[in-house]
Amino acid sequence: MSFKRLETDDFVVSADSVTAGLWSGNNAELTSFYTSSTQVAGSSGNYYINVYNNNSYENIQFAIAYGDVDGSGSVEFDSAVEGKSPSSTIYGQYRTLVLGDENAEFTFDGADVASPNFYVISVDRNRYKESLFPGSTTLILSSSAGEISLTDNSQVVTSVEFNDAGRVFQLVSGSAGSVSSTSPAANGYSNSGSYGWFLPDIATYILSADVLDAAASDGGIALGTVRGNNTDSENPGRLYDAIVDGASFTANSQETITSDFVFVRPRSSEFNYSENPSFISGSTGEVIYNEFINNPQVYMTTVGLYNDNSELLAVAKLSKPLLKDFTKEALVRVKLDF
Amino acid sequence: MGYLNNSVVTVDAILTKKGRQLLAQNDGSFRITQFALADDEIDYTLYNPTHPSGSAYYGQALENMPLLEAFPDENQIMKYKLTTLPRGTSKMPILDVGYTNITIKQGASLAITPQTLNYLGGNQNETSGYTATISDVRLFSTFEGVGINTADATALNNSSTTTLGTNVSATVVGTTINLRATTVNTLFGSNTQLQATLVIVGRDSGARIQVPVTVTKVS
Repeated sequence: MSFKRLETDDFVVSADSVTAGLWSGNNAELTSFYTSSTQVAGSSGNYYINVYNNNSYENIQFAIAYGDVDGSGSVEFDSAVEGKSPSSTIYGQYRTLVLGDENAEFTFDGADVASPNFYVISVDRNRYKESLFPGSTTLILSSSAGEISLTDNSQVVTSVEFNDAGRVFQLVSGSAGSVSSTSPAANGYSNSGSYGWFLPDIATYILSADVLDAAASDGGIALGTVRGNNTDSENPGRLYDAIVDGASFTANSQETITSDFVFVRPRSSEFNYSENPSFISGSTGEVIYNEFINNPQVYMTTVGLYNDNSELLAVAKLSKPLLKDFTKEALVRVKLDF
Repeated sequence: MGYLNNSVVTVDAILTKKGRQLLAQNDGSFRITQFALADDEIDYTLYNPTHPSGSAYYGQALENMPLLEAFPDENQIMKYKLTTLPRGTSKMPILDVGYTNITIKQGASLAITPQTLNYLGGNQNETSGYTATISDVRLFSTFEGVGINTADATALNNSSTTTLGTNVSATVVGTTINLRATTVNTLFGSNTQLQATLVIVGRDSGARIQVPVTVTKVS
């Protein structure tokens, strides 16, 4: 027999969390930012701008969008229909995604009133893998009015909040999960509340336009968001400029690797002969050496995993041949990642 | 005092083409239930039972040889399986299918009935039958095994000529393997022949034979 059935306890499933730098090449920090003029000028540029790590424009790192409940800051789809523009589409898109209620409003923690507009940083799928790793973000935004460093407050909250987009943390002043106590408020908030939401499960940062537009003394950077009616105010470009001037965006991705371990146990009396043609002498099947008749020595190099139909599903190679004979048993742990 | 040997060898497995196909089919056929071991790459003529330094050195040429990474093509790996046979076996089971290579015309049929030599004291057909794997199922409109009527074998044989339009392999089980070459002309393109490999393995003995198959275009 060449096949041996596996028992139930030969299988073990393991799930391990793996974190890595968020950006291309597993770099945790991105210091240079580029946009493609072709993409910005194209139809998608009305909704968002893609940000790359170099000027070869091969790998998108993240996208910046601007949402406005009144459709301000971008050109209306039809001038006969007031308030319907790419910015209102973005607002509605994230309202559905994050709040799950078409009547809900974005009210960031500590704010007195709902925010009618916001910026979104959406990380490219290939970068974040499964989710963003809380407590790893440091986003520096800079303008002529001032500079702020933002992180999430995942390391200081005592209970995690959830909404329709999964876990929600507040964006606050600080770095790498460490909340600044010297910003306008001791909890890292601005004078108008938190800087927005960090949504790790959808790899999204939502930044309050009101707070970013505030003066530096109030915790903002005077970003200068323009809410012109039926005009393209190029607001995503304003946040992009602030990121470029800040020159540092650090974060980690997080991924759960599920591994299937299969324990392969050839016993001493099993798998001691080979169908290898070099194990046979001539055409009649005699083993190559007389010593192999009572004391065969075979060298295991490959483990194959099969289904009931003997179809080869997965295969593993050893790093070097493993001697097997009637005096030896082996235990090989085969790891299958999904 | 000395260091203990690490008793567990850990190796990373990769999915084969067939494994990926069955995983994508999502019909429960991707279910690992058994394993086999192979000694691909090993050349036993390098084993030296007359080594002047003694028995510890007989396998010197084999024991530290570097091995290649696994190939994802299920037809190119696990070629030579290790088998379980009684101690004292002097002749290895070998398969006889009556052909060293097969050439078949488009639309023609062929039945192959393998026989195992040197098995259980003689030459015989194996009770559990034979597994036949064709490397490119598109070459045959019929590729079936008959003579083994277990539920698994029947299910496998019923889906044997299912093709996704790509050169995936197909496996059937039986005591006789029936082939009928495809009548589809488009598969040939500008060629007059198509080639594949038929691998037959004894399910009891583990004996294996590989036969090249050529389908010739008739019009």
